[in-house]
Amino acid sequence: MHARLMQAVCAPLAALMFVTAGPLPMAHAAMVPTEQVLRSADQATPVNVATDRERLATFLAREDVRRQMQSLGVDPSEATQRVAAMSDAEVVRVVGKLDQIPAGAGLLGTLIWAVVVIAIILLITDLLGITDVYPIGN
Amino acid sequence: MSVAIYARLRAIRGAGAATMALVLLLVLSACAGPQTARFLTDASDLPFRSEVGGVPFFAQTDNFCGPATLAMAATWAGTPLTQAEAAAQVFTPGKQGTLRDDMVAAARRNGLLAVPVTDMRALFQEIADGHPVIVFQNLALDILPVWHYAVAYGYDLDRGVILLRSGLDETRATPLDTFERTWARGDHWGLVVLPAAGWPATASERAVVEAAVGLELAGHGRAAGAVYANAVQLWPEGYTAWFGLGNARYATRDYRGSAEAFRQATRLRPNDAVAWNNLAYALAGNGRLPEAREAAEQAVRLAPLGGEGPYRDTLADINALAARPAG
Repeated sequence: MHARLMQAVCAPLAALMFVTAGPLPMAHAAMVPTEQVLRSADQATPVNVATDRERLATFLAREDVRRQMQSLGVDPSEATQRVAAMSDAEVVRVVGKLDQIPAGAGLLGTLIWAVVVIAIILLITDLLGITDVYPIGN
Repeated sequence: MSVAIYARLRAIRGAGAATMALVLLLVLSACAGPQTARFLTDASDLPFRSEVGGVPFFAQTDNFCGPATLAMAATWAGTPLTQAEAAAQVFTPGKQGTLRDDMVAAARRNGLLAVPVTDMRALFQEIADGHPVIVFQNLALDILPVWHYAVAYGYDLDRGVILLRSGLDETRATPLDTFERTWARGDHWGLVVLPAAGWPATASERAVVEAAVGLELAGHGRAAGAVYANAVQLWPEGYTAWFGLGNARYATRDYRGSAEAFRQATRLRPNDAVAWNNLAYALAGNGRLPEAREAAEQAVRLAPLGGEGPYRDTLADINALAARPAG
């Protein structure tokens, strides 16, 4: 069903592209994207066009990141857009690591901290005999 | 104070003092602020105090420090964004927080130029240039982190403070040393978010081209084109900037302009096959097939050993076009 729908949508679109692209129907496929020249840091290392294998690897990495975002509660279409706006290099950097990468939260973190600090203060005051919160000691 | 308490206090002091001292030493030495010290002795070209005007304040709700700071920065940059709208684009429920990459991606999706700021000097320079900077801090310790985003919008070297919009505080004046330690624990991650026509004070060619590529990925090709156009003005020798300009113009079917940009790229790096490859397509788009064929042949000649395949395809494309009857 899905595939058939895609086909129904894509076929006319592809045809339209051929018509509107004018004299160069194949051009887009073979233009080297700007991101690729960024990979070679200096003049000494020539830019290589990504091989099919590399392209497949980054494609799969994108899929992984998208799926991981979804499993972390991000809305599916939103996850797709987030990944789309990331470069290949960025995707490769975070793939498989989303659970460990720090995420800024601010207030909640501070709250957890406050709880921990209070617990430690109470432990100390317990040890000093000023309070008697914990079942240990005395 | 009773004798019993006093005795216990002394016992704890005896046992704990050494440990406490060790812990303190470790914590302090792990995060001294060398950049600030260097910066203060060598800040002669910067004003002593500076404050960016017109930065709105959105008090953070829930765990939305990421969305709040992005909304402030985007709104300042002329793209009004609410905290809730930003949250939909950057907040990750499963982490109850916001990933840095999502901040960058969201800025791009809003058509904004997002460029990293990674050291104290650059941070102050951006502020002095009138740009607020989103900073990522670890407010607590490495072992028990509190990750936080704030907007740095001013500083005062006399008072030794940096001014932040942070959490619920519209103005939080943090001592420079303290700030630097919290920022260092956040890997010195900073982000300046500008309108596409704007220009960061400190960015490198690479950083700007990466930001422009990001805009293209997010579907803002026209904004990216404006960034590349500015970039080649600033770095006339910038190969990647010219290359990006060529691709951006090609995407908007400005084939003649695209060919000019790629021609410039081939002048800067005559031995790089990719620029010749793209030049071939741009020339072909412009209807200059003989020149296009020459460029494609040059690409094949310069291709690294074993990597000629794509360039041969290009040449075949161009030849096929040339063989087609005109019209």
